[in-house]
Amino acid sequence: MTQTKSYGRPLLWMSPMILMLILFYLYPLLDVVRLSFTNASTLTPEFRYTLNSYIKTFKDSNFLNTVYVSVIFVFMNIVVQIPLGLMIAVALNAGIHRKLRGTIFVRTVVLAAWMAPGVLVGIVWQMLLSSSQFGIVNYFLETIGIGRIEFLVQPDYALISIIVANIWRGTAFTMILQYAGLQRIPLGLYEAADIDGASAFQKFYYITIPQLVPILFINFVLITIYTFNTFDMVIVLTGGGPARATQVLTLSAYEQVFSFFSLGRGSAIAVILLAFNLVMAVAYYKLVLSQDDRK
Amino acid sequence: MKKINPADVLIYVFFALIVIMFIGPIIWMISLSLKTKEEIFTYPPRFLPKVFALTNYIQVLLSSRIPLYLWNSVKITVISVLGNLLVVIPAVFAFSRMRFKFRDQWLFIILMFQMISPLITAIPLYRYFVTLGLLNSHTGLIVIYITTQIPFSVWLLKGFFDSIPKELDESAFIDGCKPYQILFSVILPLAVPGIAAALVFNIVNCWGQFIVPFIFINHTEKFPIAVGILQYLQSQTEGEVTTQLLAAASVIALLPAMLIIIILQKFIVEVLVAGAVKE
Repeated sequence: MTQTKSYGRPLLWMSPMILMLILFYLYPLLDVVRLSFTNASTLTPEFRYTLNSYIKTFKDSNFLNTVYVSVIFVFMNIVVQIPLGLMIAVALNAGIHRKLRGTIFVRTVVLAAWMAPGVLVGIVWQMLLSSSQFGIVNYFLETIGIGRIEFLVQPDYALISIIVANIWRGTAFTMILQYAGLQRIPLGLYEAADIDGASAFQKFYYITIPQLVPILFINFVLITIYTFNTFDMVIVLTGGGPARATQVLTLSAYEQVFSFFSLGRGSAIAVILLAFNLVMAVAYYKLVLSQDDRK
Repeated sequence: MKKINPADVLIYVFFALIVIMFIGPIIWMISLSLKTKEEIFTYPPRFLPKVFALTNYIQVLLSSRIPLYLWNSVKITVISVLGNLLVVIPAVFAFSRMRFKFRDQWLFIILMFQMISPLITAIPLYRYFVTLGLLNSHTGLIVIYITTQIPFSVWLLKGFFDSIPKELDESAFIDGCKPYQILFSVILPLAVPGIAAALVFNIVNCWGQFIVPFIFINHTEKFPIAVGILQYLQSQTEGEVTTQLLAAASVIALLPAMLIIIILQKFIVEVLVAGAVKE
């Protein structure tokens, strides 16, 4: 193994990347933690160290509301995206095995929603849900007799609106992940089940689901992270309103820093978000590692 | 004649629902973008425009700032994705070929950065950029984009580099090649699909970047398209822009990502599926 040495110094090869990561990731991360323990403002350079940012944040009923909104938002996305994405993945997989025409088209359509920039997702849904004449969703609701709904004006419906728009955007991710998961289930399991005369439902319930469980967990963790970090789509579709009904954590951190000029409190919220991101990231890698052990 | 399988019918019904759900919203936006102002406000709404009027597109392209925003995005995206590869390729070479202490742990830490919202780092970066004079500059955006794409590129490219047999390196060593020659003449030519994949995903990602430019750019002439289109949306309240124009501008902004996905969908799915399984 003398060759491995002759590649040279790994640190030298990695130094540009390490430099970038330190300057634009690590240092800001440490600094946001430091700032969260200050009363810093974007208006004045002076500040002192204090715990007040956290104390005020946790006493603020607006913040508690933000946490509540974020949790509902994330929870609903998980509850809908995972089953829907799994169903699409199973259907696509069946379509490909049965050589059905149009399967690839369906897959492309779902992926397209995923690749669309968040801002445009917000704009598309604003048009769909609009109360104006061109709001096609309201036209349908009226036609089928439910009647018009002011989606982006009524608080509860606004929350539903951002949930639906995010499901539309995010489901492709679950689809891809579960589709990949389906590819590695040994076909022999299904053949054995066929010999035993198992129904399609039994095969799904006793083979597919248990085989997919590890990937479903990974899926769960990743959707949670991505959904908590959502910013662009919400700021376009509802801007956090009406009456803070769609104010998610990221919007709240932004608002503290850039509307109220409170770097300290904005950083405190960012640190709370960061802590959450890190816990989920560790959970993710633990899951991935346990996957590798099984192989 | 082929018998119709009831299971196939069921799948097709489900497919139809999925297609309506996922492409319907985009079709509706395209439809709005082709309508006249009067037609937008007729009720009940018509699914297809009476005449496919391209006037909205012409107006957006000729008398708005959208082309400028698009150009800004092209510039920022191209430099960022190339810069990212320049930084990432040597590092992945090291990760894939060299042995050093805590290699897997280092890789793990880099991948962790992926999970962190750009908003968190943007808050302190805002302060530095004020001091450094990088606010309202594309350079500021580019260095952040290069960095935020590092974890994904490393993850993607490491898989491709690892799949290139080390025996090829060894015979190159015997021929007297230097490490950088091995990277350029052995690994890179074989890693072209991986590099292409990294380019595709990074382009789509940079194109859609929103939080960072939203915070760091205030001068309208510097806006990338994602922020520019929001600005365009907001000028609606002043009555300058109406829905059909906003729809046309949105379709134009959506086009690059859509073209990539339509042309490269097979490749994209293969890479993602391989990546997900690899883990």
